[in-house]
Amino acid sequence: MLFWVIAAILTLGASLAVLLPLAGGAKGASSSGEHDLEVYRDQLSELDRDAARGLIQPAEAAEARAEIARRILRLDNADTAGKASARPASVTARLVATVAVLAVPLVSWGVYSRIGSPDLPAQPLSERLAKNPADSSVDELVARAEAHLAANPSDGRGWDVLAPVYLRMQRFSDAVTAYRNAIRLDGDSAVRQAGLGEAIAGAAGGIVSADAQDAFEAALKLDPANAKASFYLAMALAQEGRNKDAVTAWQAMLGTLPPDSPWRGAVEQALAKSGEVASGAPAKGPDAADVDAASSLSPQDREAMINTMVAGLDEKLRQNPRDPEGWMRLVRSYVVLGKADQAREALGRAIAVFGAGSDEAKKFTAFAASLGLTATE
Amino acid sequence: MVETGHFALVLAFALSLVQTIVPLFGARLNNQRLMAVGGPVTITGFALTALSFVALASAYANSDFSVASVWENSHSLQPMIYKITGTWGNHEGSMLLWVLILTFFGALVAAFGSNLPATLRANVLAVQGAIGAAFFLFILATSNPFIRLNPAPIEGRDLNPVLQDLGLAIHPPLLYLGYVGFSICFSFSVAALIEGRIDASWARWVRPWTLVAWMFLTGGIAMGSYWAYYELGWGGFWFWDPVENASFMPWLAGTALLHSAIVMEKRSALKIWTLLLAILTFSLSLLGTFLVRSGVLTSVHAFATDPTRGVFILCILTLFIGGSLALFAMRASRLTAGGLFHPISREGALVLNNLFLTTATATVLVGTLYPLALEALTGDKISVGAPFFDLTFGPLMLPLLALVPFGPLLAWKRGDVFAASQRLMAAFAVALAAMLVTGLFIDGASVFAALGIGLAVWLVVGALTDLAVKSGVGSVAPAVMFRRFAGLPRSVFGTALAHLGLGLTLLGIVATLSFGTEKILSMRAGETVELSGHTLRFVGLYPAQGPNYSEDRGRFELIGVSGSPVGEISSAKRFYPVRQTTTTESGIKTLGLSQLYISLGDEAKDGSVVVRLWWKPLVTLIWGGGLVMMAGAAMSLMDRRLRVGAPSRRRKQASAAAPAVLP
Repeated sequence: MLFWVIAAILTLGASLAVLLPLAGGAKGASSSGEHDLEVYRDQLSELDRDAARGLIQPAEAAEARAEIARRILRLDNADTAGKASARPASVTARLVATVAVLAVPLVSWGVYSRIGSPDLPAQPLSERLAKNPADSSVDELVARAEAHLAANPSDGRGWDVLAPVYLRMQRFSDAVTAYRNAIRLDGDSAVRQAGLGEAIAGAAGGIVSADAQDAFEAALKLDPANAKASFYLAMALAQEGRNKDAVTAWQAMLGTLPPDSPWRGAVEQALAKSGEVASGAPAKGPDAADVDAASSLSPQDREAMINTMVAGLDEKLRQNPRDPEGWMRLVRSYVVLGKADQAREALGRAIAVFGAGSDEAKKFTAFAASLGLTATE
Repeated sequence: MVETGHFALVLAFALSLVQTIVPLFGARLNNQRLMAVGGPVTITGFALTALSFVALASAYANSDFSVASVWENSHSLQPMIYKITGTWGNHEGSMLLWVLILTFFGALVAAFGSNLPATLRANVLAVQGAIGAAFFLFILATSNPFIRLNPAPIEGRDLNPVLQDLGLAIHPPLLYLGYVGFSICFSFSVAALIEGRIDASWARWVRPWTLVAWMFLTGGIAMGSYWAYYELGWGGFWFWDPVENASFMPWLAGTALLHSAIVMEKRSALKIWTLLLAILTFSLSLLGTFLVRSGVLTSVHAFATDPTRGVFILCILTLFIGGSLALFAMRASRLTAGGLFHPISREGALVLNNLFLTTATATVLVGTLYPLALEALTGDKISVGAPFFDLTFGPLMLPLLALVPFGPLLAWKRGDVFAASQRLMAAFAVALAAMLVTGLFIDGASVFAALGIGLAVWLVVGALTDLAVKSGVGSVAPAVMFRRFAGLPRSVFGTALAHLGLGLTLLGIVATLSFGTEKILSMRAGETVELSGHTLRFVGLYPAQGPNYSEDRGRFELIGVSGSPVGEISSAKRFYPVRQTTTTESGIKTLGLSQLYISLGDEAKDGSVVVRLWWKPLVTLIWGGGLVMMAGAAMSLMDRRLRVGAPSRRRKQASAAAPAVLP
């Protein structure tokens, strides 16, 4: 509402700037001839000063004086032609004036209504972070926590709360930092170490690297019953191609997990998948997204859901190809799904978008190599 | 606030349309009321544009990521100064700054132009309004900075790290003040063509505007050059990069305009030529905007490339350049030529200056556009760089620079070269001595160094000679001399300072190019290196954390004669995580007028670091000379001559000022 009031006042002001001079009385204006005469007089006096300083020779000064005098004479002849006057406005003048006065509100409101967003209030970051947390989106809450931690970086509890949120938002590298800070400030715990491992694996696209394994092993040392750590360590085995060991580890887990554990479903899915893997297809374990999905969906639904998501991502990248992160996600997804050909094809497309020699292309190639994939070209 | 700014921008566009049409009709119909609309509308348009700019700047300052442009070019962790300068560190915001300055200059004409003939004023404002309308439309249609995002992202994508520097606060505004300042000269020229006559006061209005624009453009180019020097970490100050050329061409043409406007103002000669030059200068400014903004050239300046923008600017370019030149072709024959002069005279010298400068401008234009044309026609990519310009631009400049000291010493209408030469004997002797000293004692092998230093000294001493001769050194008593010196018109000081600054810049360039030394080596902590008599010890690499970057800072100690450290230099490699970009912060130590320049390279596995070192003698003079040139322009602006031309106000001023200048 306030905006419309301001807009109306501005429009009024702008219209008045057009209207007032049109309505006002005409002042007596000097003709251009008078202006010229002043300039010529000044040129004459300046000539005298230059001559006094020796910047012009006396003979030339006299000649220049004659030149200026001739211009003044010409001016006197021409000046009788008439002055600008406030003659009664012609029809054209009235038409122009009317159009001009109408144009200001019509053009401005017409154009603004097409391109403006009058209902969208300004959203300064500090205000967004200060409003009632209940009205805030997850993004805003996270940003608020980040601002708090930027001011108090030694608040271990803050890091501890934020870390799993990052993990859920798939901001893996931030999650790694948050877990590391939480461990440094509030000490070791199995949950934190397992979370750190999951974050490291997530950042690497689901690959349980040596760093991640270290973290999971540390978690198991603190709490031998930590299901997440056991699960991922088994997945590491699977990813190394040691399917039998992985299956053994998962089956051992099934034996010890309480019947209501959320990990039970994940382990069963993994076992089912490793069964398929064992029957021939190239080996790559499921990633964190699979695990989440697996714990709530039936195998067919899960498969369908992942395929839809990957196809959506693929489509998005066709329309908006300059998104290096997106390409890496796509390549990783195909690898995880075991569709090596499509992964390779996506990699080729990604490299083509950024040019073979570009930094991104190098990053892609290195990334693909880390997934065990090589570009065909 | 954001939408208020958006609405104000649209309203300013509507007013610019009124500003174009109504005064133009008013002048045509000789209708006072219609002509009177120009002033208030122009000033209101400026106020609205300023409101719009403030709204955008506050959105940047408050990190309002619901504005797309803020989200793309800002980050909440940036220091406040870069949040604000980020307003124009992107395509949309920089175009808004462009029109802000355009409307500001228009408003100045409207506010202080009451002593202009009414029709001239109306036409000038109309042309200015037309330029404004075209650019407002461009902004609203293709580069609107007020496009909103809903829902708003919570964090921005950060400003290009290369632009996170104080240089961004100074370089673009100065450059735009220069570019856009020439729009006033352009508007005056087109207005004169529309009227079919050039008023005597025309030159008196155009010259100060040329001075203002030239002053800011000089500062903008010098600042841009210094920024590139310390930020890009290559130690070079001029790269003949097309974007640099785009700003250099209007400068060359503007310098020519500045000189021809003097002739026109004093002698009413060269009218038509001055008019054409004013049109060409602004056309080159527009061309520069086109080259940089269309994405034809890719560089740090091309914030975003979008073909529709390029086509749009090309249309603006065609409309204004083509339109004004067509008008010139139609009307130029109706304009009367002015005073006569002898070839050897002040006027003649200024014409020579114009010939050289316009040829030099054409050379740069060819060197800049030829590769583009070739690529468009044949697809071949070539790059025209320093060798081309050294062979073409250099030889053109040499005779011009050698002739500079003669100009101010020649009399109007008919000069005496012999007398001027006699007066310059001392300057010539000093320059010759400098040349011999350079050749015999410093560097005997380089003819370029000796000649260059000699030429620079010739310019500097020549400029001082001008002041000395005009205050009567050697011919009158010291007391009279001082009185004369103090009574010299400001424009004489302006000329001398500008020519002096040119000499200083040349001195800096020649000294840096001929006597500068460079070393690239791999250093470990604790090692020392010697460069041109300065000993540096590499203390080590230290990690540090900035507000939105992390860096490895390499610290160096400058070892004095006694063996103890006398100063510290540090250079850093910064990493900006949001954009995943690395920048090099060069380390610079100024010793007198010279500088030691350190640029950090990559760290090797064994802990050693690649370090590039330069010794740049007298390098600060390159930009110091630019500042002196700016001071000269400012001095010239204060000259009383530029304030006359108003029927009523004139006489009092003239009588007040006259006694001061009489010897």
